[in-house]
Amino acid sequence: MKRIWWAQIKAVIRLEMKKTFFAKRGLWIYLVAALPVLLFIAYAITISSLQHQSESVAGRGEKSLTYQDLRAVKTGMKDQEVIAILGRPPVRFHWSENRPPETEKGTSIEVQHEDYHYSDGQNDLFVGLADGKVVSINIHGFNSVGQDSIMFAGVFQFFFLRLAIFFGCLGIFMNLFRGEILDRSLHFYFLAPIRREVLMAGKFLAGLLATCTIFVTSELLQTIAFLWHFPPSVRDLYLYHNHGLEHAAIYLGVTLLACVGYGAFFLVAGMLFRNPILPAAAILIWEGINPFLPGVLKQFSVIYYLKSLCPVDIPSPPGTPAVLALLVSNSDPVAAPIAVLGILVVALVALYVSSVQVRRMEINYTTE
Amino acid sequence: MNARIVFEDVSKFYGEILGVNRVNLTIPPGITSLVGPNGSGKTTLMNLMTGLVKPTRGRIQVLDYKTDDPENLFRILGYSTQFDAFPKGLTGFQFVYSYLRLAGRDSESAEQLAWRAIERVNLTDAAKRNIAGYSKGMRQRIRLAQALSHDPKVLVLDEPLNGLDPLARSEMIALFRSTAAQGAYVIISSHVLHEVDVISDQVILLSNGYVVAEGQIQTVRGEIQEHPTQILIRCSRPRELAAKMFEYEHTIEVSIHKDERGLLLKTRDADRFYLTLNEIALSGIDIESIAPADDDVLSVYEYLIGNEEAVR
Repeated sequence: MKRIWWAQIKAVIRLEMKKTFFAKRGLWIYLVAALPVLLFIAYAITISSLQHQSESVAGRGEKSLTYQDLRAVKTGMKDQEVIAILGRPPVRFHWSENRPPETEKGTSIEVQHEDYHYSDGQNDLFVGLADGKVVSINIHGFNSVGQDSIMFAGVFQFFFLRLAIFFGCLGIFMNLFRGEILDRSLHFYFLAPIRREVLMAGKFLAGLLATCTIFVTSELLQTIAFLWHFPPSVRDLYLYHNHGLEHAAIYLGVTLLACVGYGAFFLVAGMLFRNPILPAAAILIWEGINPFLPGVLKQFSVIYYLKSLCPVDIPSPPGTPAVLALLVSNSDPVAAPIAVLGILVVALVALYVSSVQVRRMEINYTTE
Repeated sequence: MNARIVFEDVSKFYGEILGVNRVNLTIPPGITSLVGPNGSGKTTLMNLMTGLVKPTRGRIQVLDYKTDDPENLFRILGYSTQFDAFPKGLTGFQFVYSYLRLAGRDSESAEQLAWRAIERVNLTDAAKRNIAGYSKGMRQRIRLAQALSHDPKVLVLDEPLNGLDPLARSEMIALFRSTAAQGAYVIISSHVLHEVDVISDQVILLSNGYVVAEGQIQTVRGEIQEHPTQILIRCSRPRELAAKMFEYEHTIEVSIHKDERGLLLKTRDADRFYLTLNEIALSGIDIESIAPADDDVLSVYEYLIGNEEAVR
């Protein structure tokens, strides 16, 4: 690359930074990027509060319990057997139920219910008893990184990737040229001795810098908020011995690639269409129906490759209809190097179309 | 090196609307004015020349460069447009400085050139203020500074005197003249005819997207056969001279000036009139001065286009 082109690209980036980072019409992008962070902070606060309650319940128990003790309770046990294993419950509810008669001539039956709440300080055990027999057992742990990482993956794939980054890139990249046309200021760039392709590259990189800064920061804060409520020992175990760091790095990489892919898509859309709603809706639908497309068409999508790169699969809950399950799971993943290459190729194709389009562009504000 | 700006059979249509049609032009160095009423195609011609719009048909060459090569074209060309919008949040200085940085200049040289251009348009005091707070005249001047900042060989100025006060107008006219005197091509569009008349070396008259006439104003005037040339003669015995003038076949009309110290002659052949001057002088009539009365842009404009939208 000629040295002057790089100097010109830097000049374009300097000019664009102010617009992309501090434009009033882009404030909603910060809000969208902050939403998952706020969600994880709220979740961490809730879990910390519940954990505090759990510790209090454990402190009030007759015995100091372990997780194995909690797991020892089985359905069908009698209340005395439960108390023999775990001691008298620190929290106990009693209530009765009048069941309707099973036959027309029969009489109603009164069932005595009891709920026991035990805790080992980190896990809660809720035992439901009916007429002195265990009918339900529910163990809820506060330090289940496995469960929480699935929740994190769900938020990442279904909100962060498909909505936050998607619409954030739409807001920033579509305005790189379209916004200038609406502001009637594009001629400023077109009157400079700069190749149109170099201008396009500068604008794309400026948009990429802005979206990557906003969404990578959001992703980092989400990870911090997600791990915040775990005790340091659990956190270390997850990060250094259970691929936690690797997963965090992959999520950051996927975020960067999403900005590249969607950025290139919306850059070209901003040049080809006057109304951003139509291409945005078309791309959103295209990305949404991706799991149902034939293999060849799937490849012309950003989400297809991004989903393949996500480190945690989201299991479909039992009983999920096949159509919905297809949306959740990645039935046809591609290898990571191919996925990365795929996104870069899709982005390069979009950038090539943009470079052809930018050479054809004319300044004719009156028809816009 | 190609030393001309050339339009070869250039047409531009915006959909079905005509911008300019079948334009063939060769523009030499000096000040060239594009003259015509609103919608005649002046701005389209300038936008075509600078590559902001592409011709539907034909070829344009600006010295050695084609208009689809902005990287090289704008190293020799500066364009002050009529678009009154600027990138948001910039001061006057930043506007010119950023333009020079976009051109690939380093920070030091861009700063130096920006200040020099701003000084040339007398805007130094306001240079650090945000353009959003500038008056129309100041915005006009900062656009001029941008166009001039890299010392272009070709300067294209769309209505550059709009919004300027009389003092600023004369300063800018002096600036255009000095730029043209250094061998530059200064192309100005204007509908203020008396200013065009003062500053132009040649004119291009446009009407409804067509070039009606081009060249030096006197040459253009000479080619308009259907309107007789008007000549103002100041002399001691105007009635006697009037009687003598009717002896010549090319004389169409003579009217005595109300101060009785001159007359206005209408002739269908100015060259023949000038040849007869010696004869008149020998007849004893004392002639003080002879001046063409209608070889200015205003008259040519009226003859060729009409005077509906001309601003005197």
